[in-house]
Amino acid sequence: MKRLALKGLLLFTITALPTSALAAADLVIATDAPPKSMNPHAYSSDANLSYMSNFFDGLLQRKSPDGKLAPALATGWERVDGVTWKFTLREGVKFHNGNAFDSADVKFTFTRMKDPKFSKLLNIANSIEAIETPDAYTVIFKTKKPVPWFANTMHQNFIVDKESSENRDSGDYNTRPIGTGAYTFVEWVKGSYIRMQANPDYWEGEPKYKTVDIRPITEESTRFAALAGKQVDIVNGVPVTLYDKIQNMPHIELISQAARRAIYMDITNKPGTPFEDIRVRQAIAHAINEEQIIEKVMRGQATLAHQVPDVPTIGYDETLKRLDYNPEKAKQLLKDAGYPDGFEITIAGPNDRYINDEKICEAVAKYLAKIGLKVNLDVKPKSIFFDEISEFKHHFYLIGWFDGSFDFGRSAEKLLHTPDPDKGMGVYNGTYYSNSDIDNMIIESSSIIDFKEREEALQTVNRKSVEDVAWIPLHYQQDIFAVIKGKGIKFTPRSDRWIVVKEIM
Amino acid sequence: MATYIIRRLLQGIIVLLAVSTVCFVMFRYTGDPVLMLAGKYATQEEREHVRHVYGLDRPVHEQYISFLGGVLQGDFGKSYVSQIDALDMILERFPATFELASTAIMISFIFGVGLGVVVSVWPSGWLSRTIMAGSLFGISIPTFLIGILLVMFFSVYIEIFPSFGRGDTVQIGFWRTGLLTASGWQHILLPALTLSGYQLAVLIRLTRAGMRETLSEEYIKTAKAKGLSPAKVVLKHALRNVMIPVVTITGLSFGELIAFSIVTETIFQWPGMGNLLLTSIFETDQPIIVTYIMLAACIILTINILVDVLYAFLNPRIRYD
Repeated sequence: MKRLALKGLLLFTITALPTSALAAADLVIATDAPPKSMNPHAYSSDANLSYMSNFFDGLLQRKSPDGKLAPALATGWERVDGVTWKFTLREGVKFHNGNAFDSADVKFTFTRMKDPKFSKLLNIANSIEAIETPDAYTVIFKTKKPVPWFANTMHQNFIVDKESSENRDSGDYNTRPIGTGAYTFVEWVKGSYIRMQANPDYWEGEPKYKTVDIRPITEESTRFAALAGKQVDIVNGVPVTLYDKIQNMPHIELISQAARRAIYMDITNKPGTPFEDIRVRQAIAHAINEEQIIEKVMRGQATLAHQVPDVPTIGYDETLKRLDYNPEKAKQLLKDAGYPDGFEITIAGPNDRYINDEKICEAVAKYLAKIGLKVNLDVKPKSIFFDEISEFKHHFYLIGWFDGSFDFGRSAEKLLHTPDPDKGMGVYNGTYYSNSDIDNMIIESSSIIDFKEREEALQTVNRKSVEDVAWIPLHYQQDIFAVIKGKGIKFTPRSDRWIVVKEIM
Repeated sequence: MATYIIRRLLQGIIVLLAVSTVCFVMFRYTGDPVLMLAGKYATQEEREHVRHVYGLDRPVHEQYISFLGGVLQGDFGKSYVSQIDALDMILERFPATFELASTAIMISFIFGVGLGVVVSVWPSGWLSRTIMAGSLFGISIPTFLIGILLVMFFSVYIEIFPSFGRGDTVQIGFWRTGLLTASGWQHILLPALTLSGYQLAVLIRLTRAGMRETLSEEYIKTAKAKGLSPAKVVLKHALRNVMIPVVTITGLSFGELIAFSIVTETIFQWPGMGNLLLTSIFETDQPIIVTYIMLAACIILTINILVDVLYAFLNPRIRYD
């Protein structure tokens, strides 16, 4: 009896084998972060938005590799006055379920984005006072106060279908995306892969790869093994420590590209602390040998930063120079400020967020010890660290930033302005740095409509922040991607790290 | 007998209640979920709004009671991160973990007992010495190291087994299985081997100890003297008696393998419950963590109660009353 059952099972197994072999994907991409949800507004991290950019379109899009703003679901846009934005929509676009796209979907999307049950992109949604739809292909947004970067965020506010979104329950809505994007959703096996199929009716034309799998592999060593074993075609987040090893593998091409994210030390000027004196802040900046950090800690995979915004950001000023490495001058400045014997300083930072974050903190600690400060190191997991930042617990910490809207005005409101929760200002200014001149300049810049004039105003804010040592820029990270050779894959990484599959040729 | 079972069940429920309380209280004081829920760029006002929408501004005991009420109706809440039902999310991952743990337990049982017999029958041969030394490695090398070594050798150097994932799967009802495809078997082998390592070593040592004791018993000598074949003596008379503790240990460790395969699942990117738990811990996704712990407690309790009840059946002297 037992033997019979066993035979039966064996027979069943054998017959089941051939039928279950699924069609292999044309392209397999391994990424370092899994999607958290298939609701395009559920998460503002670049990792989640990257997945969504394949299923959905925004009113605008950003083109690889430099991130230039281009039309998508909107064919044109215009800032009518300080608080009014007009978008002209593309005609003839259909959602994956066949519904036609029009201005009602846009209005529905931005109204839904205000509800914290559905959305974490509350900032931009809550800045909208009213949405008018004079006809099916025109949308006019009125913001509560001037938001100069309003259009700049339109590549990441993905448009959902009004009818199906209203009717589906949240479980379905959060697991099966219906958009207008270049790929239609096939399957999401959580923790395993996301499979998608080229959309033959896409308004930009059907993309090259028909069936594409994206496999999130969070473990660095496992991602490396998958690449070495040729099981994936494209990998992002190649660890810096393995760079040399992978470079020696004949079947893999490495692409190293300057990322947008700047790593910097945030520093306070709170009265009653030694940091109140600008000479102390300058001394700390002079003490850090960033070139050595890039060479030794980052193994050359980073670019020196003279300021926090990166080149494509409005407000970047190419003439700015960081304070040079000069420990003698640093000691002198400390002496002048009345701390000849140093003082006690704590360096905080995350240890699982940025490339080599903990090691950078350790290096900074060493440089500061050399100019006579008594250094404590306080690095911890990001989930705890970021909570502490929002509680203003640290005076001096390592953090990274890049502005998704490519606008330093927005960065400055979050990072530099004196914290003022009621106005939504300085929410990420965890050191409580405060400078009323800078505050005023930030506020004034937001109502300037002329692009050139506003850019100059933002450059001034940027320059002032570096001169006042509101922060100490360290470097821009480098993103390393790996592509399997010999398959004819043409992949140009984007500076925002998104993997937009329709761009892969 | 019935009273005994009822008493064990009641004890189980009390333990579960205690587990839920500890979980709940603990997570109230580790990180504020609102920061995660509202997104890191939210203003204070937006955060307060979120806190209210999710009922996180109510007193702790009220939240606990509504949580318990939900649990009794099978509602463990929704994941803070993905807004998907927590229990559904975990149960969706259950088949992967169950298959991994079952394969691992099969490997460790078959090889553990088999090798255990070999070393007790020929205790001084070079093979036995190698096996015993190997079992010492199995006990003392941590799982993640075994896993990484296996990947390095089998996936990177000789490229015969894939390094991650589950391969092709087939959906049968609610159960997504990888055991019906060739690629599924290829994928499960390395993680199952990794997970079985420790158990395998323990079972070899347990079988050997039991066998050596039994083989010196009088009735074995009698059986040999009767002229029975050595194979029959070893397998039928000795091994049968040794199996009782071996099966007990295997059964108990099965629950543990299901509940705590976290490390192995992470290394091999196995889409199981352990992987989900680890991700959720990093994201402070409390509903998932609490549900997982409750479920793990449930599985282990059930297995324990089953084993206890079986004991009581098998051996009427152990009724613990």
